[in-house]
Amino acid sequence: AAGSLGSVLRRFLAEYGSGTPSRLKVLDAYLLYVLLTGALQFGYCLGVGTFPFNSFLSGFISAVGSFILGVCLRIQINPQNKGEFRGISPERAFADFLFANTILHLVVINFVG
Amino acid sequence: SAGPRLRLAAALSLLLVLAGAQALAPSHRLTARDLARLRAALELPFADVRSAFYSIVGLHSLGARLADEKAACKFIKSHVDSSSVDSLFYAAQAIRVLSGCEVTISNETRELLLAAISEDSSVTQIFHAVGALSGFGLPLASQEALTALTARLSKEENVLATIQALETASYLSQQADLSGIVEEIEDLVARLDDLGGVYLQFEEGIETTALFVAAAYKLSDHVGTEPAMKEDQIIQLMNAIFSKKNFETLSEAFSIACAAGSLSRNRYHLPVIIVPEGPAAVSHHQPLLKLQVTDVMSQPLTQASVKLEYAKSASSKATVLQETAFTLSGDVFELNFMNVKPASGYYDFSISVDGDKRFIANKVELKVKVSTEVGITNVDLSTVDKDQSIAPKTTRVAYPAKAKGSFTADSHQNFALSFQLIDVNSGAELIPHQTFVRLHNQKTGQEVVFVAEPDSKNVYKFELDTSERKTEFDSASGTYTLYLIIGDATLENPILWNVADVVIKFPEEDAPSTVQSKNLFVPKPEIQHLFREPEKRPPTVVSNTFTALILSPLLLLLILWIKIGANISNFSFAPSTIVFHMGHAAMLGLMYVYWTQLNMFQTLKYLAILGGVTFLAGNRMLAQKAVKR
Repeated sequence: AAGSLGSVLRRFLAEYGSGTPSRLKVLDAYLLYVLLTGALQFGYCLGVGTFPFNSFLSGFISAVGSFILGVCLRIQINPQNKGEFRGISPERAFADFLFANTILHLVVINFVG
Repeated sequence: SAGPRLRLAAALSLLLVLAGAQALAPSHRLTARDLARLRAALELPFADVRSAFYSIVGLHSLGARLADEKAACKFIKSHVDSSSVDSLFYAAQAIRVLSGCEVTISNETRELLLAAISEDSSVTQIFHAVGALSGFGLPLASQEALTALTARLSKEENVLATIQALETASYLSQQADLSGIVEEIEDLVARLDDLGGVYLQFEEGIETTALFVAAAYKLSDHVGTEPAMKEDQIIQLMNAIFSKKNFETLSEAFSIACAAGSLSRNRYHLPVIIVPEGPAAVSHHQPLLKLQVTDVMSQPLTQASVKLEYAKSASSKATVLQETAFTLSGDVFELNFMNVKPASGYYDFSISVDGDKRFIANKVELKVKVSTEVGITNVDLSTVDKDQSIAPKTTRVAYPAKAKGSFTADSHQNFALSFQLIDVNSGAELIPHQTFVRLHNQKTGQEVVFVAEPDSKNVYKFELDTSERKTEFDSASGTYTLYLIIGDATLENPILWNVADVVIKFPEEDAPSTVQSKNLFVPKPEIQHLFREPEKRPPTVVSNTFTALILSPLLLLLILWIKIGANISNFSFAPSTIVFHMGHAAMLGLMYVYWTQLNMFQTLKYLAILGGVTFLAGNRMLAQKAVKR
């Protein structure tokens, strides 16, 4: 019950803290930031209304898109996944991440109005 | 036997002739008013010898005489310039027309004129010289003149020069071979422009066209050859020339006068104008159809014989009369059409004018109206019970009396009206175009109009059923005056007859509380324009608070990163690294500038530059990093 949930959580955090390279933790912190930003935007929109709708969409999609790109980067640079990404070095993954983000934010800025 | 067969052959040949005679009818002519206007345009005081020539010769063509011929003669003699071939031409031709006007020509003048007839002079010069010599009665060498003219004409190929050549040839002796010039008439006809199949004229204008007609007939009469113009072409030329009713210049008036004169007296073609006098309508009061048969100058052709080929009813195409001659009465030709007792309506008349071989456009088709008077008979007003339990009460009324008493139409009984229309003169039944029953509410001014329809026996019937006709009346009960309206184009006595009063009762529940006059022309209620309301926005405080709030996750991120121990210690100050970071920062800055100022195209341009630089630097930097790893 509650106790098992708490213990699962504590176990997870302990495993996470020790088993995850710091590089990935840095990325995870970034992902959390993006998530919170997106959630806050959504909550605001629910609260005060959708006007102007394009601005809300732009900001929200920026958050969602950045989150997805961040997750992709995390998957690609995770040393445990090295076998799956033979031809893609972490540097290459990071370069891809930057490029995709540039395009995403070009569109976002176009749409924000 | 021979009789009917002969008649059949005659009828067939008549049909063929008529089929061929689908010629154009003249649409324009010189009426008496037009002639007066033309004369007034020509009777202006002389300004110089040239305008004197136009006035004198123009009036002569119209068959009119100048008021003071002696003064004209004196004017010309005093104003002629003996050194100018043109002036001599105008003077010579004008003097020729005036009676009792003599002038002596010096030898020098004669030499001047003869010298002008050469290949080196223009066609106009040759024309004027020949005309002057001919007008003064002086001898000239026709063959040499002809040679010079032909040679000159081949160099000046324009229409006016050719027309002047025609005129010149008409002054030359017939012993010279004028056939070359005569052939020019045909060439000129080919150069005419056909406008809508009605008009034929030169692109140079009406004046040139009129001069051509006058010159062509003058030359044709002189050489004795019929001009090469078809009947339709002549009529189209006429239409064009006589369509001009206002004459801008004296020379234009002169040209039209010459054309009118030549078309009314030449040896070959005499266009005939056939118009009805007044409207083409006959009736018992006016049984005679009167026609004016004139030439183009509205002079009556009293020597002609005018015949009605046939008269057919326009609706049934049955021939009512044929092969009947018109009788001459004064200046008009008349025919008593009512003698054959035609039914009222429209008739197609085909009329032909004969008597002179030269007549052209001498067959016309006319539409003639025969009018009559209508009489209303057997007028029965009745109230018919709906249940058919009571026999209908019928009252007979005679026009123009009004029925005594009033009739009622309500939910139990209908009102019915029946009548017949006959031709008063012949007794035949008539079906006019307009047979209306008008009901007029005396109190409210409403009126409702119905159409009375004839049945198979040509008896007109009208029935008023209150339940069926509620909407037309707006359910307004009351006393209505009933009128009968009969009208048609062929009726001389249209009828508006107050027949009776009808009380119409509609069921109470349908009656409108007040009778609203349907006035369509009052101002309608004003439409207020609703401007688009701006969207509801949250108060500025709220949105500012949120903006501050949205930065809090960023704060959290920094704290977490410090906590995790993200190290920037491995930051190497290699140039590529610096360039990369600067470039990336610049790209982010570009995003901000894009948001505030730029458009997509400019941004893409800058992005391409910055992106390229950043990419190269980043590539180098990451490669170095990879190597280090």
